Amino acid sequence: MSDPSPSLHLRQRLRRGRDRLATALITAGGIGVVAALLAIGVFLVVEVLPLFWPAPADTGADVSWQALWLPQSYEGYDAPQHRWQPTVTSAEERPQYGMTPLVWGTLKAAAWALVIAVPLALGAAIHSALFMSRRLRSRIKPTLELMEALPGVVIGFIAGLVLAPWVERHLAGALAMVVLLPPGVLIAGWGWTRLPAPLRRGLPLGWAGLWLIPWLLVLVTAALALAPWLEAGWFGGDLRGWLETRLGLEYASRNAVIVGLAMGFAVMPSIYALAEDALSGVPASLAEGAQALGATRWQTLWQVMLPAASPGVFSAVMIGAGRAVGETMIVLMASGNAALMTLSPFDGMRSMAASIAIELPEAALGGTHYRLLLLAALALFVFTFLVNTLAEVVRVRLRRRYRRLGGAP
Amino acid sequence: MLRRGKVRRRWLGVLMLVLTMPMAMADEVVGTLGAVGSDTLAGLMLRWGEQLTDRHPGVRLQLQASGSASAPPALMAGTTRLGPMSRAMSDAERGDFVEHHGYPPVAIEVARDALVVVVHRHNPLEGLRLTEVDAIFSDTRRCGGEQAITRWRELGIERPDGPLALHGRNAASGTYGLFRQRALCNGDFRVRLDEHPGSAAVVAAVAASPRAIGYAGRNHLTAGVRALTLVDAEGNAYRPDPERVRQGDYPLSRTLYLYLNLPPGQALPGPERAFVELILSPEGQETVTELGFVALPQATLERQRRRLGLNDAP
Repeated sequence: MSDPSPSLHLRQRLRRGRDRLATALITAGGIGVVAALLAIGVFLVVEVLPLFWPAPADTGADVSWQALWLPQSYEGYDAPQHRWQPTVTSAEERPQYGMTPLVWGTLKAAAWALVIAVPLALGAAIHSALFMSRRLRSRIKPTLELMEALPGVVIGFIAGLVLAPWVERHLAGALAMVVLLPPGVLIAGWGWTRLPAPLRRGLPLGWAGLWLIPWLLVLVTAALALAPWLEAGWFGGDLRGWLETRLGLEYASRNAVIVGLAMGFAVMPSIYALAEDALSGVPASLAEGAQALGATRWQTLWQVMLPAASPGVFSAVMIGAGRAVGETMIVLMASGNAALMTLSPFDGMRSMAASIAIELPEAALGGTHYRLLLLAALALFVFTFLVNTLAEVVRVRLRRRYRRLGGAP
Repeated sequence: MLRRGKVRRRWLGVLMLVLTMPMAMADEVVGTLGAVGSDTLAGLMLRWGEQLTDRHPGVRLQLQASGSASAPPALMAGTTRLGPMSRAMSDAERGDFVEHHGYPPVAIEVARDALVVVVHRHNPLEGLRLTEVDAIFSDTRRCGGEQAITRWRELGIERPDGPLALHGRNAASGTYGLFRQRALCNGDFRVRLDEHPGSAAVVAAVAASPRAIGYAGRNHLTAGVRALTLVDAEGNAYRPDPERVRQGDYPLSRTLYLYLNLPPGQALPGPERAFVELILSPEGQETVTELGFVALPQATLERQRRRLGLNDAP
């Protein structure tokens, strides 16, 4: 055998070299990402550690673990208080480092975001995966996913400067909408089943997303028009006063519901996208089998599709929760940032992420305040890390299950 | 060939002209001025920087507006020679500087400013006593308010009714600190107070709700809100008018400073000298008024010009 031509040989070696280079670069990139993640964690731990160890007295730190989380007695108050007031303006004062309100605010904001986002996102996912016409779905899905790209600061700005004042002025109208819209949509569904068949064919279920829009507009208008009557008849003409005297709830214009609406809007696309993928990934043979055995669409959905896709739906909600807890700008602009610890949906709150954003630039480097803000950052880091890991593990399980059920990978 | 050579020569000529132009126009004032400090002063500093470049094309101002608290460390470390601050240096900050350099920093008053208590433009409230301000904004009421004021009725107002919605700046900002010092006698803020990341946001929030009351920098006033008259313990009423703020009578007025790192006995270097000259000139003080701050009294301007050895006639 003669040698292969030298140029071919060279080319082969070149290609192999390039291959190796690419592999090395990709590996380095992967390792780099992991290293950066670890470095962030290590940095946070190193910065936070001097708060507690060695013994606080040595480092001059003036907090203990208990003082951070339990109510403290401060001068001028009758009872121990949870207070976050980390700066002082005179030497006699002592800064107040109660972090419980911040944790409370973070969880409250995230909970309201999920209360609003999860039903809507899951409903949308179920509808678009199982009922929506293919053509409409191919438009709606990318649009919803594009919504995710909307910067938080824009949503926060709209929520804080447009939505919050509007809802404050039209409180009764907003409440009427909440009360009217869900039954209104149900009525539309009931009416649809009663329509004569030819008319029903003209309004196919797959296009409900479009033909419901005029009906929704009618409902919204009706709610706004009815609101003054509603307020006069049931609430003595002053819903705010009624809330206060009857329920003891003070209405703050930037409150948990506003934050929930804005942040719900922000996390909805990611929950929707993941849940939709999980639902439309359920092997078609399952649904077909169920319907062949005589199950209705509703039964197929509840007894076959949802149980099969439940891990995916769960991980979608988890990812949404992770985003809601870490979201900064929306809470910063729409929550009022008052470090309150109340259950009322009409009170504001202060989240850890928002506190970091507004206070870190002004906190003295290496001081107690600075380290406490980094402790909050560490808590957020650990929380989102755990939640995302959990969601990912569940999703991998789901993929394996689909493969076992004989669907597409 | 010949033509191309001509074109090239012409370009060369233009290039030479461009290169020599700055030299022809150059004066002794050339360089980059770095400043680190107050964000309240940021707009003003930038405008002065532009005017300085108009006067002396060779000078640029580079500003890092990260809060008054960032000025003293930067001056001490020598990363900047100009430190704009919306408050006077604390004794501790001054002490650190002296310990490090062996001489105190030079403080220049550059403008006056004030905090205003604002309400919605439709709110009938005219003014507040200082003890009432304390009773509204504070939980501990160090300034002597006996009873917390939480509802508009308690101020004798029928419309709006219901609770007061409080708005203010975020903890750790200079505005927050000044208000807490002067209006709350260093007491604690009410917990139920919305903290906004800027004075403009406070004003916007108050302008959106008739029940709201808040405090903000005077230069952020808009048509949507009204600044309240403040009444001191002796019963003197002060509106936040320019004249009241200039004289320092208005209880929440403050002076804005520019701190310089200048060894004693040395003259100001060229760019710094030009900058300070501009600030203390009628043109510089006009900019102060334009941006909603209050210009310094003539006597203060002259005293400072003399102290720094600047030309008396601008």
